Amino acid sequence: MFLLPKGNPLYENIPAAKIKLPEMLEKLKNGSFTGYLNFTFPTSTAILFFEGGKLISALLERGSTRQTGFEAMAGLCNNIMAGGGSLNVYRLSKDLTMGLHALLHGEMLYRGQEVKLIDIKGLLEKVKAQRLNGCLRIYTDERSALIFYKDGSPLGFFHDGTQDIDTSATESQKIAGLPGAKIDVLSTQSADELMDYDLLEMVNIDKLWGSTEARYAAEINQMKRDGQEREIKERESRLKELEDDLKEVASAYLGKMGRTLVEKELGGVGGREALQKEESVITFLAGVEKSAKLLTSLTKLKEMVETMKSEISNRAKA
Amino acid sequence: MDDIGNLIGIIQVVFWLLAGGMSFYFSIGNARVWTSISVGFFLIFLSQFYLLAPWADYTRLEAVHYIIGTVAIMVMTHGFQEYYVFSRTLDIGGSKAAVYLGTLGVICVSSVFIFINPEPTYTVLRNIRMIENASWVFLAVINIDLIRKIYVQIRDSVISKGFVAFGIVFFFIFLWKGSELYLQVFCWDNDWHIFATNNGIADTVDLYSDRIAFSLLVNQIGGMLSALSVGGTFIYLYRLLR
Repeated sequence: MFLLPKGNPLYENIPAAKIKLPEMLEKLKNGSFTGYLNFTFPTSTAILFFEGGKLISALLERGSTRQTGFEAMAGLCNNIMAGGGSLNVYRLSKDLTMGLHALLHGEMLYRGQEVKLIDIKGLLEKVKAQRLNGCLRIYTDERSALIFYKDGSPLGFFHDGTQDIDTSATESQKIAGLPGAKIDVLSTQSADELMDYDLLEMVNIDKLWGSTEARYAAEINQMKRDGQEREIKERESRLKELEDDLKEVASAYLGKMGRTLVEKELGGVGGREALQKEESVITFLAGVEKSAKLLTSLTKLKEMVETMKSEISNRAKA
Repeated sequence: MDDIGNLIGIIQVVFWLLAGGMSFYFSIGNARVWTSISVGFFLIFLSQFYLLAPWADYTRLEAVHYIIGTVAIMVMTHGFQEYYVFSRTLDIGGSKAAVYLGTLGVICVSSVFIFINPEPTYTVLRNIRMIENASWVFLAVINIDLIRKIYVQIRDSVISKGFVAFGIVFFFIFLWKGSELYLQVFCWDNDWHIFATNNGIADTVDLYSDRIAFSLLVNQIGGMLSALSVGGTFIYLYRLLR
């Protein structure tokens, strides 16, 4: 994503997950907001441009993939639901907003050219000769400046921290002089043509948001169900293992009848699930003890019951 | 010969006293199934006790002793049946008190039956004794089979060898009671001999004196070995289950 001028920040670093997009867009529409919304997500960025309360463009960029219009709005709804992002809202002047729109949605003529390696004077003459509508972006890793053109004539200069177009080229020249400075050249349609466009009229944001919300709720429910099922399976497997071990212990002390005895007594308390309830464990062990008295010595019986108790307390609720 | 027989009988009673005491003690601290079995063995002592009692000539009491002997094997068989059911289903039901009271009840009812009827003559006593011996012989065989089945079920448990010992006990009991029944069935027993002599009835004792002597020997040795093996078995069980 381009480094964009911040203009006049209204809100910064608002957690995206807290935002109700339809309500927010409605507020901006009613407030005739001019400027842009910058959403930053872990793997994507979205920019929404407003002009006098009209949503004139939406851009969602994920790596090298760029989506605009409805797709961008749908993607934005998804990303907000997914959580983890933040929102910055910047108010800008009308001309600057138009220029930025051109910057993001215009045709890229040159990209990332080293300022020192190109003939700036020749480039500007070419812009003028071609009556370019668009934008020159001069930037380093830290700073950026924009020069907006209309019909090949510069409208003004923009750099970080300013709200409106500046008439002085000093700042832009400074940035151009910095080591590693680069330049992008972008052309666009005329501003008047772009102003006819309002995404809020074309896209039913409420419905889009509602369907995304419903889908995410369904996904979350499904995840919860999956999680619960997984948990049940894990618990079942753990209890099955515990039951097998109890049978092994009983078998070691009582012979083959030990296994049957454990099965019978577990059945009597409602199956292996009951090993998670203290009172059922007491009943189970009492039943085992009662029958085992007829099969083994008191010393071994005590030892067996203690081993079983320890196995159950260590593993039934783990 | 009779004196030697009486002496051996008294020695047997002493052995049964030890075995009965051991089995009764064993029944106190153990499960209900053992109660039936050990009470049964204890009753053998009571059934033999009349030989020492000063009222041995009182026929009604002698009859009661024989009935106690019959009840003894029935209670024991009940115990082994319960253990067999346990070994197949692992179900244990009932209480120890029910065993004690039930046994006492049967003995009391039997005693009442004896006392409300005419005083038993020697032939009646002999009949009761034959019934006792027949019960012992057939139930001993049944118990040996039950013990075999129980052993198959619990052969890898600590207690299994105790059941082998019980099998040996019932083998001796089979010899002890079986030999006596044999003599009674062919009218070669002492009671019949007295009865025949008093009534001028000819018997065949002289014709079969060898087999009669052998049967008496088997009866006396079988009786002693039964008492010894019962005592030994309960001591062995006590050690196994300690």
